[in-house]
Amino acid sequence: MKRNFDFEQEGIQVKKSCCYFCHQNCGVLAYVKDDKVLAIEGDPDFPTNTGGLCCRGNIALLHLDHPDRINYPLKRIGKRGEGKWQRISWDQALDEIAAKLAQIREEYGAEAVATAGGTQRTDDWARRRFMNLFGSPNGFHNSHLCWIPTFMIETAVCGWSPFEIDLANSRCIVLWGQNPGASNMPEMHHLSELKQKNGLKIITIDPRFTETAAKSDLWLPLRPGSDLALALAWLHVIIYEGLYDPVFVENYCEGFGELANHVEQFTPEWAEPLTWLSADLIRESARMYAMNKPGNIQWGVAMDQQGRASGAAIHARILIRAITGNLDVPGSDLLTGPSLEFITDEEMEANEYLSEEQKAKQIGADKFKLLTWPGYSKIAEMSKKYWGKAPTAEWMCEAHPPSVFRAILTGDPYPVKALLVSATNPVNSYGESKLVLEALRAVDFMVTCEYWMTPTAALSDYVLPIAGALERPTITSSYGCSDFLLASQRAIKPMYERRNDYNFWRDLGIRLGQEDMWPWETVEDAYLHKLEPLGYGSDSYDEFVEYWRFHFPERQYQKYLDKGGFGTPSGKIELYSSVLKDLGYSPLPEYVGPVENEIDHPELAKEYPLVLSTGNGFMPFHHSEHFQIPDVRFLNSEPYFQINPETAEEYGIKEGDWVWIETQRGRMKQKADVTQAVAPRVIITQRGWWFPERKMEEPDLAGCLESNTNVLTSTRDEDCCPLSGTWANRGLLCKIYKVDSTEQKEDN
Amino acid sequence: MARYAMVIDTRRCIGCQSCTVACKVHNELPVDMIYNPVTTVGPTGVFPNLHMVHIPLLCMHCENTPCVDACPTGASLRREDGIVWIDEKKCVGCKACVMACPYGARIFNQEKGIVQKCDFCLDRVEKGNIPRCVQSCHQKARIFGDLDDPNSEVAKLKNSHHTVRLLDELGSKPSVFYIYGLEARMK
Ligand code: SF4
Ligand code: SF4
Ligand code: SF4
Repeated sequence: MKRNFDFEQEGIQVKKSCCYFCHQNCGVLAYVKDDKVLAIEGDPDFPTNTGGLCCRGNIALLHLDHPDRINYPLKRIGKRGEGKWQRISWDQALDEIAAKLAQIREEYGAEAVATAGGTQRTDDWARRRFMNLFGSPNGFHNSHLCWIPTFMIETAVCGWSPFEIDLANSRCIVLWGQNPGASNMPEMHHLSELKQKNGLKIITIDPRFTETAAKSDLWLPLRPGSDLALALAWLHVIIYEGLYDPVFVENYCEGFGELANHVEQFTPEWAEPLTWLSADLIRESARMYAMNKPGNIQWGVAMDQQGRASGAAIHARILIRAITGNLDVPGSDLLTGPSLEFITDEEMEANEYLSEEQKAKQIGADKFKLLTWPGYSKIAEMSKKYWGKAPTAEWMCEAHPPSVFRAILTGDPYPVKALLVSATNPVNSYGESKLVLEALRAVDFMVTCEYWMTPTAALSDYVLPIAGALERPTITSSYGCSDFLLASQRAIKPMYERRNDYNFWRDLGIRLGQEDMWPWETVEDAYLHKLEPLGYGSDSYDEFVEYWRFHFPERQYQKYLDKGGFGTPSGKIELYSSVLKDLGYSPLPEYVGPVENEIDHPELAKEYPLVLSTGNGFMPFHHSEHFQIPDVRFLNSEPYFQINPETAEEYGIKEGDWVWIETQRGRMKQKADVTQAVAPRVIITQRGWWFPERKMEEPDLAGCLESNTNVLTSTRDEDCCPLSGTWANRGLLCKIYKVDSTEQKEDN
Repeated sequence: MARYAMVIDTRRCIGCQSCTVACKVHNELPVDMIYNPVTTVGPTGVFPNLHMVHIPLLCMHCENTPCVDACPTGASLRREDGIVWIDEKKCVGCKACVMACPYGARIFNQEKGIVQKCDFCLDRVEKGNIPRCVQSCHQKARIFGDLDDPNSEVAKLKNSHHTVRLLDELGSKPSVFYIYGLEARMK
């Protein structure tokens, strides 16, 4: 929005678009003339952001035509990573890529082609459709780190994940490893509003004193990675102090006796040394949640990012909701099920076209069964039986990313020869960056769909220009799993030769014999097809956006009354989970310590005495994005980690010092933010960092390892969650030491 | 005649600085110029007993304007509706007002050779819109309106809450009022 902008000038059109810089997809009004966006502002009528935009949203116009954006298809002509490119046409790029993929399929099988994705800001059902029709089961995202393990474990136990929180009627919310004050602005607004109006109680569980913790009634600064111990102790308090809901448990839950016996040992006193929280605080917080009903436990990424202990922690958390009866009643966490009113993403994926033989080859499916075909098939079947539809397979059923990167390097279990990368920069966003970088250097053939020349794009054989915010239509529907949807339109046609990734997958598919399967020429056509059963009668997708913009079904509470139970094999909430048991996992959440900890690994703790947490979100960046834009970068221009003054003093570290942080996997450096916000002995790093202002050249690739926190994380099979395969970002052990002023740049 | 004012509810502000960026983009300011920084105080205390409060700033649009009084060319002006603004054509960049403003609200623009500052988004307000920073704030922590209109949200908030003006003791009488919560005890 520029000064003195004339909203009423002739020829101005107001397009109902959305922000595309994080999953919230805040509503944006774009003022367009002659296919140029002249100004933007938050859409006051959009239900989530009600006119607000965060700092990222405000710079959409600087992002749209930034001089570093990729605008034309590029083909590598120099050595890999040398930065020599030739501009080619889309047709040439697609022809050559299709020919190469066909050749790889011929020689090594379709499974030798994998795809890597990032967050849910792409046309991902189309990616899955392409992969299914191509015949490869090896698509993956960072889904393991973000909600997907939660969704699948909760669905295994309850028949659907109760992710819809009915906050307006709630009395208490637990923000467990979530900081909406930096990651979910609309939610934070809602919380403050309800706190002021209804006296909503807010409990924040977070090792950091965050923007959100500062506004909470209770803050539990637990040891990073000890969420499982805390959740088990909450179960103990709620059961043994009689705070559970006996009627709900009696009528709708199975296995309460087993659970009660199981958690008897997990007293608050037991959890005290593991969580670094006093037994009193554990009791007080459990009581606050259990006695202020109805209440919610909001999902946060923290539990999805702990590696080995993730699955059990998520499992324990859903049991807390279940035994307090905080499920599907007004004010609690609601199980909406998939939408029966519009065509879901899963129905667009063509999963039935992937043969059983190919499904069986999915990398990681033998080790981590829940987020791969063995677990997904079981859950999809269960869900279809009860709800009539299955959850999205893209995200919920994926190859195990670290195992794919290892397969590229070792050929085990079989060779992976091509990687199609879309909307991700794996060097910075996947675990164990050094290994990922080696894999990207080693893979035979790599194509990247991008906005920018990222370190990953720089190593590719082809880089394709992708349409971004304001240039693409968007349907927002919680990974295709919500029963509502929000629809936004393109403000303008993509600039230069940028295209939607939808068109990449479609056009590639058509060249590989899938022409009958792609009837929709544009994303808008495909979206209109999805919306048609809603019966709004719109002739085009744009018309739907202009007249309706969203679809919210009428809320139905306690669906289990009408449906005669929940969507599990027994029809009850399975506190003792038969689904997990059938897959070979413990039916109850078993305690296991953080991946690296001072109690189980005293020798390791001698060398690496500090506790590390990585991966939390912070303004103004999103994952590894936005470092190019000075108008937001100035808010946080260099990488910082948090350290308590007591620990800083012990190590002779002062505010702003560059410090090496090292784990068993390697080291990286960030600057010290000396703050009381974290406990002594705790180190919390910023994620995502690379330096687009530097040269994009081998071996440094714009400093992609130098301050990259994922150099520190662990993706060894033993450190991953046995159910989901998620890897360890939090609760690791590290050591720190000041960067010697004579030291040159990172010696990777 | 309207009497424009802003109420800032620090209980809601999360220090996200969306307002800061929105203002920069709106006014097309160079990277090193900010009209409305957000100051974070804290965390204060000792872990785990901590407090933190964010104080969004901007020109205070004072009733008694030391800046206007200091301006030798008549470039600095205060309108009847309370908006303090700079007539850029008359500004010679002498910076007398920069020295005079107790709130650090005035900034010298190196590129243009003049002093600039927040003008409550005069261009928008004149057309009946709210200032850019107010619209951009997800948390509705900045509330703008006419104090003389008893039905306006600013008037209601100001009348129903204890509010504070910054450096009130100087007698500059700002048009920006702060609401502090209990959690916002300052050191
Ligand atoms: S946008 Fe609102 S919440 Fe964010 S810093 Fe500004 S006043 Fe505070
Ligand atoms: S804050 Fe400073 S610039 Fe603004 S009116 Fe007051 S004295 Fe003048
Ligand atoms: S009122 Fe306008 S000029 Fe003043 S701080 Fe807000 S956005 Fe900037």
